[in-house]
Amino acid sequence: MAGTNNIYKPLRANLTEVIEESPLIKTFVLVPDEEFVFRTGQFIELSVDGVGEAPFTPSSSPLVTEKLEVTVMKTGYVTGIMHELKPGAVMGIRGPYGRGYPVAEFRGKEVLILGGGCGLAPIRSLLFTLEHMKDDLEKVILCYGSKTPADCIYKPLFNRLNSIDKFEAYRTVDITDDDWDGPVGVATKLLDSVRVNIDNSVAVVCGPPIMMKYGTLKLLEMGYHDDQIYLSMEKNMSCGLGKCGHCMMGEFFVCKDGPVFTYNEIKHNPEIWK
Amino acid sequence: MYYLSIKKEDWHRSLEKLLSSHDIFVPVKDELSLDYEPFRLNQADKIAYNVPKPATPLKNFFLPVRENVTGAVKNGRPRIIIGVPNCDVTALRLLDEIYLDEAFTDPFYSQRRKNTLIISSDCHSVNEHCHCTSYGVNPWPEEIADMGLISVGDCIVLRIITSRGAELAKEFPAADPVDDPSRIRLAEERQKETEAALAGQNKNLPDYRTTGEIVLKAGREIWQKYASKCVSCGACTTICPTCSCFILIDRPGFEKIKHTDACQYPGFERVAGGEDALFELDQRFRNRYMCKYVWRPQKFNALACTGCGRCIEACLGKINKNELFMEFV
Repeated sequence: MAGTNNIYKPLRANLTEVIEESPLIKTFVLVPDEEFVFRTGQFIELSVDGVGEAPFTPSSSPLVTEKLEVTVMKTGYVTGIMHELKPGAVMGIRGPYGRGYPVAEFRGKEVLILGGGCGLAPIRSLLFTLEHMKDDLEKVILCYGSKTPADCIYKPLFNRLNSIDKFEAYRTVDITDDDWDGPVGVATKLLDSVRVNIDNSVAVVCGPPIMMKYGTLKLLEMGYHDDQIYLSMEKNMSCGLGKCGHCMMGEFFVCKDGPVFTYNEIKHNPEIWK
Repeated sequence: MYYLSIKKEDWHRSLEKLLSSHDIFVPVKDELSLDYEPFRLNQADKIAYNVPKPATPLKNFFLPVRENVTGAVKNGRPRIIIGVPNCDVTALRLLDEIYLDEAFTDPFYSQRRKNTLIISSDCHSVNEHCHCTSYGVNPWPEEIADMGLISVGDCIVLRIITSRGAELAKEFPAADPVDDPSRIRLAEERQKETEAALAGQNKNLPDYRTTGEIVLKAGREIWQKYASKCVSCGACTTICPTCSCFILIDRPGFEKIKHTDACQYPGFERVAGGEDALFELDQRFRNRYMCKYVWRPQKFNALACTGCGRCIEACLGKINKNELFMEFV
């Protein structure tokens, strides 16, 4: 871990900017006291001094090491207080932890990404990485769903992605509003219309538990094999070190053995969708 | 591995001398229980030899209930813990795998392990719920501990196990190599007696692997039945020599307090969004068994239950896990 030999000790980071992404989601731009290196899909424990810490996957590019961005949905006690923070605050970072996306294995392939809600945060980091290695990829397709058009985060990202060679990005919403003229329905519905060479493809799923489950089932139905589907699992990752036991998912510590697993690695456990 | 023998009076004298440089803990029995106490001058006659299972599991010497883990690691005085039963010694294998993991070594645990010498002891008697041999653990130490101890008449026989144990043996200058093989034979006979007593009282208990199969197959109605008397107090995990889950509590100044936690407590797996895979009491109850007999064995090269039986003794609801296993064997 950067900056300290004590695995429990956070690195301090200055909060330089807070970006409002949606009514419930903000992105925190942090400049750590030391260079911070992570692999896309790995997560950090981000702490509010004296309050608590929670796990988040950075949403920024791993190629940028002097600052990082963390996108946080206001969900519970710690994230509620985080949302009150203003630039100038000092936060704590532990990590990076866990196993990220094995992007080297994506070379030469089509990458189909299914995301929902705040699950777009880790996916954005992955997209930055894939953009950097796009010459080695066949195609990148993003299918993303949010509850309403207002709940969609990183809105400019979609136009930008669609302007990049080999990238396609699609959006849907569960509930429409007056200005929305795109597809309506859950994110998995977008998969019906994508053109993808499944035999030479990997699929990445990141979103709320219900989407993870039905997204995976849909991909299997489409013909994806168990080991072609990468899932970013979410549990109560408390220590991040494979010790505290809060994130046990069967025999795995999600924090250390994951959070990214292939469906093949975890399908034997019927409790993964809980 | 080799044996040394020392007269008890010389052993006591050497221990008292070691007090100038070490903290020493010994098992002491009173009318209520057997537990470790700090060894003090002129109290050698209080040491209980070769009796099983002090109330406190060995883990507590290495993983305190509560500690600030963002402060400096203190060196502290070297410690010697005497009279540790082999069920507790064996439990260190799992704790070492977790806390000395190369990727994330816990500096506090590591320091305490380095700082502590363990003089384990052969068990010459058996408590009601002892069942180490059912899980392949001997009631005497031959590894991990630095020494094993056997009280034979007016002598202490020391089984020297590790190089650190051999180093410590130099502090007992009156100890001689055991030249009388009958002393060793006597110790081995006592081992066989203890083994036979354990086999006798656990003859219907399935082994570790079979227990895992039973736990994996058990339907929800079984967990609900046995959990009906569980009150989620966490006594079983507190007293277990291998349970070591914890929670980190934040304090101002980015300090972290590491406090023991248990999967038996409500909310252990709850996430901020409200989902809680262990919301129901019977799910938490089952989780502990799955962890001990199915999941940890898949992940680690160590036992997650060493058969000490403390969880059975500590249970407020008088739940006996072994009754569950024997019902479905």
